[in-house]
Amino acid sequence: MTRRFDDRTVIVTGATKGIGRATAILLAAEGARVIATGRDAAGGAETVAAAEAAGGVCHFAPHDIAREDDWARIVDLAERRFGGLFGLVNNAGLFFVKPLDETTEDDFDRIYRTNVEGTFLGVRAAFAAIARTGLPGAVVNVSSLMGQVGFAGASAYCATKGAIAGFTKAAALEGARMTPQVRVNSLHPGVIWTPMITSQFGDSQDLADAFAADTPLRMIGLPEYMADAIAYLLSDEAAYVTGAELTVDGGRGAD
Amino acid sequence: MAGSGELSGKAAIVTGATRGIGRAVAVSLAAAGAAVLLTGRTPGDGEAAAAAIRALGGRARFLAADQGSDADWTRTMEEVQDAFGRLDILVANAGISKPAAIAGLALEDFRALNRINLKGCFLGVKHAAAALRRHGEGGSIVLMSSIVGKVGVAGHAHYAAAKGGVRLLAKAAALELGPEKIRVNSLHPGMIRTAMTAAYDERLLAPSIPLGRFGTPDEIAAAALFLASPRSRFMTGAELVVDGGWIAQ
Repeated sequence: MTRRFDDRTVIVTGATKGIGRATAILLAAEGARVIATGRDAAGGAETVAAAEAAGGVCHFAPHDIAREDDWARIVDLAERRFGGLFGLVNNAGLFFVKPLDETTEDDFDRIYRTNVEGTFLGVRAAFAAIARTGLPGAVVNVSSLMGQVGFAGASAYCATKGAIAGFTKAAALEGARMTPQVRVNSLHPGVIWTPMITSQFGDSQDLADAFAADTPLRMIGLPEYMADAIAYLLSDEAAYVTGAELTVDGGRGAD
Repeated sequence: MAGSGELSGKAAIVTGATRGIGRAVAVSLAAAGAAVLLTGRTPGDGEAAAAAIRALGGRARFLAADQGSDADWTRTMEEVQDAFGRLDILVANAGISKPAAIAGLALEDFRALNRINLKGCFLGVKHAAAALRRHGEGGSIVLMSSIVGKVGVAGHAHYAAAKGGVRLLAKAAALELGPEKIRVNSLHPGMIRTAMTAAYDERLLAPSIPLGRFGTPDEIAAAALFLASPRSRFMTGAELVVDGGWIAQ
């Protein structure tokens, strides 16, 4: 592909590993000035090194997306360091597997604050920052296949990811009323081989093979595939796409 | 043609490619490096579309074919094999629209629309899957549905039936063909500036579309290219809605 993001500043949350890292690297390689955020500075440094090796510009900043003051700091950093904000990839999120009757209020609050409030705070901050540029912008919220279908043992996670899907549509309608407009879409990954999955289910080749066997395309999802989908939604190729849900799951959700 | 080259070495069929969205899809796949067989029922327009791609340095050929005809699909597959030696991508885009209230909708009209819009996609999947199976490297099939395949629109019952059918046909085919790495996805345009929507006044309808305008054939072509390309290699049985936010409301 040609460089779709030349001179565009993009914040990618949860960019210290997995889907966020792959996205930061791809966007940087295609010309974006990336603010990669997260809570793991060592992981962030690895992302920056990989993005720079790909010929891109990338800066890591520590960030807890559930904290309102953190968002003010991140947006301010993006504007001061790289100029006006073009886009946001709201990727950071928590995941755990636990039966409903064992999920405590604290468990729920924790995942809700990060996944739902973190996404809300990000979109609110990004809308304001993009409006200051006087140019159009785009936001991609990373939901999940589990924001579209249920998964036994992940009720709290499903609740937060369903919330992101609904919130995304409302935000898309408000973003469309801005001048210039801001597009907002959600991405719904299936099982992607990332630390989020392996930390819960294990990291063995047998498990990866089992996930692949259980997926119509008979393959395991990789973070790079999600980065390609996010880049499509964020780019001008998707200029008429807003409020949409893009499912990238190897066909798992088609039945 | 200036382009990414991401489809170089690939061969594609685009139906309904004589004008509008289909023509834009053919141009965009060719610009990305694919050899494209354009099909349709209007030879004059189809030959002109193929010639325009060739004039820009792309590989393209036109064949007069009706998406609703099984015999025409057999000829289409022979043609793509003769011309390009293989098939990797099918964009089944051909479709007709003829607004009518159910009370006044004759069975012949219902059947004529579904023959092209629904049965035509089924035949396309069937023939393309056979051709893709021949080289065993998988491929991508894009079925043109519509937002009317996801929400109802009064006066378009037969169109909605066909487009809703296409949406689920894509999912069933995706499950069946997935193990062979043949991906099948549906694309759902909203109101796009084409001959099909020429009867609708954009100035009147724009306020009810969140992005405030109709889309362009190029914007649908960019989505079709994404679905055809390896950038969507983990995507199958999925829906891509390109509607300016219409059905998010």
